[in-house]
Amino acid sequence: MGILPDEIKPAMQGVIPSHVVTCSRDGTPNASALSQVYYVDPDHVALSHQFFNKTVRNVRENPRAVVWIISPETFDAWDLGLEYDHSETSGPIFETMDMQIEAIASIVGMKGIFKLKSADIYRVVSVTKNVGERIPLPDIDEPAGQR
Amino acid sequence: MTAEGADSLGLREQIAQNQQTIDRLNRDLEKKSDQVRIIQQISSEITSTLDLDQVLEIVLRATERVLGFQHSMILLKDLAEDTLRLFASRGYDPTGVGAQVAFGEGVIGVVAERKRMMRVGSLGAGIAYITSIRARLEAAGQVAPGGAAAKLPGLPNAQSQLALPLLVKDRLVGVLAVESPRPNAFDELDEILLRIVGNQAATAIDNARTYQMVEKLSRLKRFFSPQLAELIVTGGADDPLKTHRREVTVAFLDLRGFTAFAETSEPEEVMSVLREYHADMGKLILEHEGTLERFTGDGMMIFFNDPVPVPNPAERAVRMALAMRDRVAALLGRWRRRGYELDLGVGIAQGYATIGAIGFEGRWDYGAIGTVTNLAARLCGEAKPGQILIALRVAGEVEDLIEAEEVGPLALKGLAKPVPAFNVVRLRGRV
Amino acid sequence: MIPDRVVELLHGPAFIQVGTRDAQLRPAHAWAIGAVVHADRQTVTFFVHESRSARVLSDLQDNGRVALGVALASHEAYQLKGTYLTSRPTRDEDIALQETYRTKWLAAARQAGYPEEIARPLILGFAYRPGVAVTFQVKEIFLQTPGPGAGNKMA
Repeated sequence: MGILPDEIKPAMQGVIPSHVVTCSRDGTPNASALSQVYYVDPDHVALSHQFFNKTVRNVRENPRAVVWIISPETFDAWDLGLEYDHSETSGPIFETMDMQIEAIASIVGMKGIFKLKSADIYRVVSVTKNVGERIPLPDIDEPAGQR
Repeated sequence: MTAEGADSLGLREQIAQNQQTIDRLNRDLEKKSDQVRIIQQISSEITSTLDLDQVLEIVLRATERVLGFQHSMILLKDLAEDTLRLFASRGYDPTGVGAQVAFGEGVIGVVAERKRMMRVGSLGAGIAYITSIRARLEAAGQVAPGGAAAKLPGLPNAQSQLALPLLVKDRLVGVLAVESPRPNAFDELDEILLRIVGNQAATAIDNARTYQMVEKLSRLKRFFSPQLAELIVTGGADDPLKTHRREVTVAFLDLRGFTAFAETSEPEEVMSVLREYHADMGKLILEHEGTLERFTGDGMMIFFNDPVPVPNPAERAVRMALAMRDRVAALLGRWRRRGYELDLGVGIAQGYATIGAIGFEGRWDYGAIGTVTNLAARLCGEAKPGQILIALRVAGEVEDLIEAEEVGPLALKGLAKPVPAFNVVRLRGRV
Repeated sequence: MIPDRVVELLHGPAFIQVGTRDAQLRPAHAWAIGAVVHADRQTVTFFVHESRSARVLSDLQDNGRVALGVALASHEAYQLKGTYLTSRPTRDEDIALQETYRTKWLAAARQAGYPEEIARPLILGFAYRPGVAVTFQVKEIFLQTPGPGAGNKMA
């Protein structure tokens, strides 16, 4: 299918934090920050699972999630409707994420302490560019008396 | 116009249009293949030289000029251990060369460990995140304070990093890394281009390094046994050419009467005697694991305990000298029958020497300097034909081993006080 | 009931996320541009841009469940969960509050180390008017700062 456009890739480099909202099976939403959403292919993204937290717990009960990401180049923002598919503890996606985490952990002196538990793979169900949410770049920086 | 004529006109138009399309496609293709062509040219430059420094320079120049990376570096894997050393860089303070990175440390260290390319776009954000977790773990007493990684080579505020393992048949040769203070500075196309350059570079660097090693090996084989030379070149023993101080036992030896013999004999005879002498002395040096530091015609300087430490260096030196004296006596029998008056003289001393590379660019040699070498040389000079003169220190080490007669104290040139000296008569228990 | 520290953060300049879900348990996300804690320290009003309000309000009218993620750039974070009370369009005094919030928010992003070429377009690029003020009652508060204690209920 291929619903992730190429222009979305810069938003998946972890430059500006992302956000994820999940929902437990009993209907309670949870809003959480993410350092990075990883691009897998035009139909899949991955989230890193380091600690067992509410997000991880929720998607394993109720696979639907929404992720908000923004490009540090164009400042376009998207909502990705996701469905949790499966977790990987080996393979190219896991390795890519694991290497990055290992490298940064080693710089901070957290080698072995801060580790990747799994790469959680999600299917991208919808891609919505949030045009209304953002003021177009040329219109930013207007004086206080904005429309 | 006939139907045929109308058709052929339409066909001509079609062909003309197709041609325009083909031309446009060719132009687009040319633009893309420009970069590939330049990279191909670089590859032929790289493979035309075996000089390691030149290869590294070509690679980094290409990464800057062709691919536009402002900050790049090449680290090579240590021959023995799992560490990398910075060999060349561009866009950095040059004094960083020589810095070490352990496998698993930072982006470069992890790339070396996993032998897989890595691209990071927001190092600062990642570091800040894990740092804040660490701070809270520290505050909660769950982790000890400190422990941040050793300072890694590179920009202090790098946000983007792209590092590629340089592999030859799955063996890691080193890592090629580029950095930028801007976040998200590199993309997939950069990965592809760097990979093309890197693959060429890996083979060229490996060849240059092997050539360097072979050169060094053949140089070292002049002084050391082949096994030791190989050990030094692959990093299994310390680089002997790096200046260091060590306590060594030094033996000087030469053939008494050699000068007169050389002056009055046919050149072929002189060479033949020397050849026999060198061959036999050389064998004994190897047997006793001595290091032949230099030889000048009939004179030789050998020392023990460097570059590889040995137990009982003084004992080995004395045993070797005695074996040499016996061997020369056997040779002498033959030479004397031919009318030559030749005999061995040996001087042995023990003490600290400064050892390392002596000489100048293009002509480095491995050498030792110190009072101990002077003393051994002077003792050799004083030795009468057939004598093995040893200094006090050596005598002390081997007193249980040998029978000796005192011949000193001797006043020797270059030494302030007269020195005690002993002549080694024989091994105890021998006739 | 809402701890002092969380009140302080809600009044700026924390980054505030809104989480809701529809009848099929499909989650939705929105940014809150500013918030205010009521005198009872139990009720909170947050402001979302009109373009996001349709989905948020539809969810809230369906099931009333709302989550607020409140975080500083230093990763100190809290999760508020509660039930929807009421909503109305934002008024002049709300807008004034939001503008103060935006100024503090930009300063916080700069202080967090975001370079100017990212901080300014990122923060000031969030559309905030016309907006909708959403009021809810806080039922539970959790510590969400990553590290030890994350996920613990605070109140």
